[in-house]
Amino acid sequence: MVDVSQHELVPEHTVLDEDTLEEVLEDYEIDRTELPKIKRKDPALPDDAEVGDVVKIVRDSRTTDEAIVYRLVIE
Amino acid sequence: MTNFDVTDGVLEVIEDTELPRRLKDEVLATAEERDVTKGQAREIATAVEAQYLDTRVDPLDPVGTVSAQSIGEPGTQMTMNTFHYAGVAEMDVTQGLPRLIELVDARKTPDTPIMTVFLEDEFGEEREKAHEVVWDIEATKILALGDISTNVADMVVRVDLNEDTLQERWPRVDSTNEIAGEVAETIEGSLGVTVTQDGTVLEFGPSEPSYRELLQLVEQLRDIVFKGIEDVTRVVIRREETDEGEEFVLYTEGSAFKKALKIEGVDATRTSCNNIHEVHKTLGIEAAREAIIEETMTTLEEQGLDDVNIRHLMLVADIMTNDGTIQSIGRHGISGNKDSVLARAAFEVTVNHLLDAAVHGESDDLDGVIENVIVGKPVRLGTGDVDLRMGVTESD
Repeated sequence: MVDVSQHELVPEHTVLDEDTLEEVLEDYEIDRTELPKIKRKDPALPDDAEVGDVVKIVRDSRTTDEAIVYRLVIE
Repeated sequence: MTNFDVTDGVLEVIEDTELPRRLKDEVLATAEERDVTKGQAREIATAVEAQYLDTRVDPLDPVGTVSAQSIGEPGTQMTMNTFHYAGVAEMDVTQGLPRLIELVDARKTPDTPIMTVFLEDEFGEEREKAHEVVWDIEATKILALGDISTNVADMVVRVDLNEDTLQERWPRVDSTNEIAGEVAETIEGSLGVTVTQDGTVLEFGPSEPSYRELLQLVEQLRDIVFKGIEDVTRVVIRREETDEGEEFVLYTEGSAFKKALKIEGVDATRTSCNNIHEVHKTLGIEAAREAIIEETMTTLEEQGLDDVNIRHLMLVADIMTNDGTIQSIGRHGISGNKDSVLARAAFEVTVNHLLDAAVHGESDDLDGVIENVIVGKPVRLGTGDVDLRMGVTESD
């Protein structure tokens, strides 16, 4: 099986624990449903990610060093 | 973070600014090169910071509108129909405006699907090894392998396989007999007939003598894929200078990204595909976002429009991938899913939207730009969203 996470187009995905998530949401003053989404069947998602989790994605940014974004796992 | 050979004072001054990491590094690099003092560093840092804050997007700035204009205006200068060769010998690649439209419309399949296949280790270095991969990717059909003749008197189809071609396309197998056997098996499997093999000559016919069935067998025989990926009709091999040095790179006409990544010798970390949906299915939504940015930027660059700021394209890609799937920009995607009835009606098929909204008893919160323009209220953007009151002080 091909390891998708090794591909240069795929940034690092990690599941966020609840405490850090709370901080993030507070920081942005938003609800978790307002985050961008990612499907549970997404090939780049870590295996332990479940619906309702939030994944942290660290992109190699074109405009700054690293860009950190969050996506909510759905269906 | 890289280390710079500057004094602690200079480092402190620059680190203290509000600049992002990348700019701090740039300033530090310059400070190192010019060997500045702490006082000079403070001056530089203040100037850079002022410039940075000045050019930064203000809160409530309509970035979407600015992006639309910034991509739209250069779009008017694009050629309407360039339809040829893009760096790769004799390969048709959709370019320019048609390609850009295809991307933002998120078409299921592009006009000219193409994969850029990078090879691993020795496969990328030796031509013969690279060719092995070529034959694993390019679809091999019967017409490429030999001649077909039909004998109506005996009710048999006769396939005369060409030995050289067999040897060329199955480089890992030595005997042509064995290869012919494999071909025979494939035919048996797909057509459900019994094939008799004599060296490289294969013969088979319908179970009941029937002229119609005989011809049908020949028709079906032409469509069987004996080796490679069905969707890939042609592979072009080129020796190119890449980040890894000089190596062989394959370009395919037709794409099957998922299948291609599994083939032995294919570098599954660099190989890419110009179909954003295939990238999405194989590598996920984040990779699709990268692919959209990459593809739109190259399309613009090819047309000499490389001064479009990448941030605009990033915004477009962000919005297209926001809900975890790829949405198109337009009636069927982003614009069609707006909350506001009036905004949707203003875009396309006005009557249908108004009618549906009336039937379902929808209401409009008047949050967006378009609906507020329609009803003649101030738009809640920029200064429109800031309430100012004249200060009143009591006079004696």
